[in-house]
Amino acid sequence: MRGVLAFLGQRLLRALIALWLVSTVVFVVMRLSGDPVPLLLPPDAPRSEIFRVRAELGLDRPLPVQYATFLGNVARGDFGRSIHFREPAFRVVRGYLPATLELGLTAFVLAVLVAVPVGVFSAVRRNSLLDHGAMGVALVGQSAPTFFIGILLILLISLKAGLLPTYGRGDWRHLVLPALTLGIFAMASIARLTRSAVLEVLRADYVRTARAKGLSEWFVVAKHTLKNAALPIVTITGLQFGTLLGGAVVTETVFSWPGMGRLAIHSIYNRDYPVVQCAVFLSAVMFIVINFAIDLLYGFLDPRARPR
Amino acid sequence: MKSVSLRSPAAEAGPAGAAPAAAGTVRRRTTRLALTGAAFVLFLGAVAAAAPWLAPHDPTRQSLRARLAAPTLEAADGRTHVLGTDHLGRDVLSRVIYGSRVSLVVGLAAVVVGGLVGASLGILAGFRGGRSDTVIMTVADAQLAFPFILLAIGIIAVLGPSFPTLIVVIGLSGWVSYARVLRAQVLVLRAREFVDAIHALGGSAARVILRHILPNVLSSLVVIATLELARAIVLEATLSFLGLGVQPPTPSWGGMVHEGREYLDTAWWISTFPGIVLMLTSIVVSRTGDWLRDLLDPTLRGE
Amino acid sequence: MVQVTRRDLLKAAVAAGAAAAVPGTLPRPAGAQTTQKRELVVAQGGDISTFDPHISTSSNDIRISFNIFDNLVSRHPDGKLHPGLATEWKLQSPTQWTFKIRQGVKWHNGDPFTAADAKWSLERTWDPAHKTRVSTVFTSIDRIETLDAGTLIIHTKKPDPLLPARLAFYGGQIVSRRYFEQVGADGFRSKPMGTGPVRFVSWTKDDKVVLEANPGYWGGRIDADRVIFGAVPEMAPRIAALLKGEVDVITQLPPDHGERVAGNPSTKVVGALYAGLYVLAVNSKRPPLDNPLVKQALSLAVDRNIIVKELWRGRGIVPSGPIAKGDNHFDASLPPLAYNPREARERLKKGGYKGEEIVIETTSGYTANDKPMSEAIAAMWKDAGINAKVEVVEYSVRAQKNRDKTFKGLWWSDPTSTLGDPDGMMWRLLGPGGPQDYWRHARWDELGDAARFSTDEKFRAQAYREMTKISNEHFPWIPIIQPYEDYGLQKYVEWTPNPNQQFEVRRFAFKFRRA
Repeated sequence: MRGVLAFLGQRLLRALIALWLVSTVVFVVMRLSGDPVPLLLPPDAPRSEIFRVRAELGLDRPLPVQYATFLGNVARGDFGRSIHFREPAFRVVRGYLPATLELGLTAFVLAVLVAVPVGVFSAVRRNSLLDHGAMGVALVGQSAPTFFIGILLILLISLKAGLLPTYGRGDWRHLVLPALTLGIFAMASIARLTRSAVLEVLRADYVRTARAKGLSEWFVVAKHTLKNAALPIVTITGLQFGTLLGGAVVTETVFSWPGMGRLAIHSIYNRDYPVVQCAVFLSAVMFIVINFAIDLLYGFLDPRARPR
Repeated sequence: MKSVSLRSPAAEAGPAGAAPAAAGTVRRRTTRLALTGAAFVLFLGAVAAAAPWLAPHDPTRQSLRARLAAPTLEAADGRTHVLGTDHLGRDVLSRVIYGSRVSLVVGLAAVVVGGLVGASLGILAGFRGGRSDTVIMTVADAQLAFPFILLAIGIIAVLGPSFPTLIVVIGLSGWVSYARVLRAQVLVLRAREFVDAIHALGGSAARVILRHILPNVLSSLVVIATLELARAIVLEATLSFLGLGVQPPTPSWGGMVHEGREYLDTAWWISTFPGIVLMLTSIVVSRTGDWLRDLLDPTLRGE
Repeated sequence: MVQVTRRDLLKAAVAAGAAAAVPGTLPRPAGAQTTQKRELVVAQGGDISTFDPHISTSSNDIRISFNIFDNLVSRHPDGKLHPGLATEWKLQSPTQWTFKIRQGVKWHNGDPFTAADAKWSLERTWDPAHKTRVSTVFTSIDRIETLDAGTLIIHTKKPDPLLPARLAFYGGQIVSRRYFEQVGADGFRSKPMGTGPVRFVSWTKDDKVVLEANPGYWGGRIDADRVIFGAVPEMAPRIAALLKGEVDVITQLPPDHGERVAGNPSTKVVGALYAGLYVLAVNSKRPPLDNPLVKQALSLAVDRNIIVKELWRGRGIVPSGPIAKGDNHFDASLPPLAYNPREARERLKKGGYKGEEIVIETTSGYTANDKPMSEAIAAMWKDAGINAKVEVVEYSVRAQKNRDKTFKGLWWSDPTSTLGDPDGMMWRLLGPGGPQDYWRHARWDELGDAARFSTDEKFRAQAYREMTKISNEHFPWIPIIQPYEDYGLQKYVEWTPNPNQQFEVRRFAFKFRRA
């Protein structure tokens, strides 16, 4: 028990240090990237006006002071006010979160729903035409650049076939293409992982025994595989969610999806420091929490992987 | 984030599918595939090097009268444009051919940068252990937690897009993969007695690393570098696609997809051809990495 | 926009706890030339940043704020000034204007609108406590008086012939003092209220703004119950949404896509010649750009005709100088700026140009065709023996360079003629202390200053003619094109664009064609 507590404590410490590093890097990069004030004023604003607004935003104070204030505020959960939207940065980011979560969850559900059956099927009917076809597609899905997949889907499905909308958020039809684009890497990975997990099961002794007893292959597979395949699937899913913001940046840009990824890019361009800091911070927290959860799940699913 | 550890279990799918008795055949097939992949990379290199002789036109030469021409043997400017022209009337085929230069130069240089930084830090962490190890691995953790593409955008916003900036940013985005794998391997090697023995005999740390550790981790290094090359090429294209790539008029695949996006429904060829070439390159190079791993370093799979 | 409607219905239904029986929207027959729609859906290139009309001057924002709020004076699509919240105005003495305030106008919350609101609103623009972004618009005003609820007197520091024009553009939107003080700055930003033809309903960031008709609008109720502004930053989806009938109007239609929209049976293109120019502004302090001969060569080496004909598909005209066509004192007798590469080479030689690098710092997509035009022009310059280079910078970098005046050579500027007069364009930007003050010329400065404060239009015409001549020798701007601002519309929408990017849904500019 004490070992587990020590382990947890150590993990927590490392997570906090990682968060501090992440916030510091964002702070430094954003401050170096330039001044948001010229973007707020009409081009003919006089210099006095610029200095006034800089002071109003607290940008005239020395950097170390700004940094100390920033860290202190973050520790209290205060990310400051958005320069562009003029409201608390956290509220802005929270407003964009549902769209990104909707996209991420759908991508994940879609990935699992498609990939697991395909993986199982490929393994049971290994070396069939369908197996080769599916694994070929998975290969493409795993290595192709996300943005180009998105572009191809828009071109073929939306523009040429006219089946689905090209942009924006709305009903389920708006969700299909972006979710597919965001989830394709996970889908391909899960399909291949499931396939190899099932193959391993099929080779195992107990399966041969079961088969000898006359049970159908499908039944055996269903019974034993899912547990075996669960670990890698959980890993991929965790990674998918942990890097949701990073992945969403490209997908949301391609599909004009009003989520956190696009908010982050726009905020970088607008030099809206508080929003960028808040978005990146939340994304890092999400990554760390999910990775931690995965580690715990591992211990639960596979006793061998428990921390020493 | 596509990391090595993620891909590796998937790679089992191939060889594991065959019966153990056929291991020899599988090995031979993998060798052949790996060689094919390597040949593709060499071919790409040759195309990039020979671009001036291969490209039918100057990739930056504009012809406003023949802009947005569909693939044709004779456009409004009286020239042949096998893959059509873009919004400034430039030949898409020539630009795709020249675009390989950006992808390869940035990709390879980024791999060198990432490899040097990652390998040194990984070996250092594994060899020295203790505080250096903790610091390096904590930084690695932090970097993985960072939505990297945003950091890249931020840095490029500071420094402006240029070849060196792109190379450093993309290179540094990949160092963690090297560092983690090499650290693990060095830890294993260090546990073996010969390292201690050499130490005891007065061999310097640098000597031990150079003479005994590096040769042992070289094959892993090659495997990771290949996988990283695929990642670097895709990342460069992605940044170019977001408008943060090399400056015009230098053609790059991601930049071409970006420029053609507005014309997707009227002039699909501008985005589609460079996109397909990019996709093909990425698939072949990353597969080559997987095959190389199966061949050189099966232990990496379990990573 | 079918999706929006259905989703809103769904939301409403869920909120009411009655998720069942959501009526499906009937698809319109393709090619419909009339409509029974009561909702106008506009797709623009970006989301708004704020509703407070004194806090932002971005074109996405003012499309909406000019409809929620009224100005004292209104500039109609015909380019002329019409009565707004002021019914008439008069120059009482050289420095005193009197405005008659419209009676019986009500704010969206029912409060009566008075001259005191107008006074407070104008004064607010330069009141440091309000931190507005339009504090320099009314620098010519000395003080404002309200004679009674119906009369406003504005004293200017010097004669200001353009005051009514200034009141018609940004900064001039009138906000309610009482409401603002009731709800505070944050409340006002999240729920703006004016006297305009539409009232605020809701704003979903990066998605859409919903407005509804103000039934008691003094200018007449608009021809729709609701107006929705959607944000669709990508061009291809914006056009697809129009072609599929999901939206009624799209803004910023690039010329390359005009044919598709015009060729589609149910849609059309309308455009207005932009009240302004697209110019390459020049950092004339930086050698060799301090040399007029070099700048003349740069101008002569640009084939503007092919740029207009091919890159803009004919949707624009070649400028003749730094004054936009349609403005006061535009000289229609001047020829378009010439293209003569041989002469360009001559002047380069005469000017002693030694192959110094000349850089265009362009944004990508900030102004229409900015990057393609830069690349095309750089190629033309190379052909004329100029060592030209294009560097793409993002918009925020451009803004910073603009502020610090650190451009390396040339950059795109799309000066809008805010007042329909050269004073609100070239003098505002190029004049001493202006944002593009990189070049000084004693005679030019003298004329500009005199024209600003003169009420003698004959003298002003003379002055601007001479200033144009000087500009066409020294090129503080290299004008490239005066484009059309095109919009894509459903055929059943009858709408007249305003040349200065104001977007009017008032009765005089918009109605649906009914069956």
